[in-house]
Amino acid sequence: MPDHTSNGMQCNEFDVLLTDALDGVLSGTGLDRFQAHARSCATCGPLLAEAEAGRSWLKGLSEVEPPVNLVMNILASTSGIDTQRLRVTTRSAQPHISWWERTQASLLEPIWATVRQPRFAMSFGMAFFALSVVLTVAGVRPADLRQVSLRPSAIRHAYYSTQAHVVHYYENVRIVYEVESRVRELKRNVAPAEPGRRESRPAPKKDDKNDTTQQPEQKQERNYSQTNSNLILASAHRGPFLNGFNACDLPVVSVSTYRRLV
Amino acid sequence: MEDVQVVAMLVRRCIAGDSAAWEEIVQTYHRRIYNICYRFAGSGDDAQDLTQEVFIKMYRTLSSYDHTKGAFVTWVTTITRNLLVDHFRKTKQDRMTDSMDTPASEHEDAQPLSEQIPDHSAAADARVRSREVSETVHAALARLSPELREAVILRDLQDMDYREIAAVLKVPEGTVKSRINRGRAELARLLQRTYRQVM
Ligand SMILES: [Zn+2]
Repeated sequence: MPDHTSNGMQCNEFDVLLTDALDGVLSGTGLDRFQAHARSCATCGPLLAEAEAGRSWLKGLSEVEPPVNLVMNILASTSGIDTQRLRVTTRSAQPHISWWERTQASLLEPIWATVRQPRFAMSFGMAFFALSVVLTVAGVRPADLRQVSLRPSAIRHAYYSTQAHVVHYYENVRIVYEVESRVRELKRNVAPAEPGRRESRPAPKKDDKNDTTQQPEQKQERNYSQTNSNLILASAHRGPFLNGFNACDLPVVSVSTYRRLV
Repeated sequence: MEDVQVVAMLVRRCIAGDSAAWEEIVQTYHRRIYNICYRFAGSGDDAQDLTQEVFIKMYRTLSSYDHTKGAFVTWVTTITRNLLVDHFRKTKQDRMTDSMDTPASEHEDAQPLSEQIPDHSAAADARVRSREVSETVHAALARLSPELREAVILRDLQDMDYREIAAVLKVPEGTVKSRINRGRAELARLLQRTYRQVM
């Protein structure tokens, strides 16, 4: 902007006052000087007209309506769940919903939402793994399951034979342990010296447990990389499942994560 | 514009894991953020993605908001603006070559003004014309430099005061006013040119 003086006002002063003038907050001699400059300056006169026109064009633009699913998408991408309450609201906007749909929405969605949580999936996976180990040890093979008959008598038969397997296995394990403890006793009697050595036998295990020098780091690392899921849990709906096992540790997790991210 | 204590409480509840508080924040600010993004980025799709990004960023950094340092709305707008700057840098080339005659978006997807067929009834004509005018203004806005565009969006579309805008853009108030003046004037010049072509 050229910086010449016209009517005792410089162009840069005019520029500063222009917004005030258009806002209608300029008055008295300030306004007079401003107007006088606008009339006499070849640069600022047109600038005033254009700024005024541009302002009114912009003021004519009305607010646009965000997409209807925007809030739901935001909540899904931040708290990680489609909030069932919102879903119910969107549904109730539709003409007719059966009571069954409503029940499904209110009962099944929290459960489904919980099932989708990583922590729940992990626990479920571990439980399944443990079950499959037990079944394998008990001599039940997945291939056998294909031929399993679902007649009540057949189920009863399968149950008893599986129980027999398990009992049998348990008996075998017990014998092994018994033999082992006898051998240990025998050894102890043979070599009574070396105090603490026998006692220290469970010690390595104990040491392993307390040797957490590496663990906190790993744990933190996991927290760090799981930032999103922790945040998800922190703000998830307090459904029946979350109340049970997450409520106590969540604030701690979320606070530390925030700090790290900031 | 906002009750500082109410917002501070809402933020505290949110940090403590209250999902209802977070939902309230989303409900309160999504429209504003979407509109800023829409007017700056030009397209509804981009605006939707950007709005989501803004809320993800907000969600992660909520604990850094300090109500003694400024209004929540200023903080939210600053996050939005910073993401828009990143977005602009990423899509610079496409954006600068946008023609003013291209329909702006799904919101105002009428024909360009220059191809208008003038055989409507009076009321329908006025309605179509008004829609096309906003579409043309929206397209002209996209042709302003980002510094001028953001200044006029925050002032004329979001009604923020100069002090707040200065805080968001991190420039002095004088610079804000100067950019608003130049933005408005440049927009008027662009529209003048368009209408001269049509008429
Ligand atoms: Zn001048």
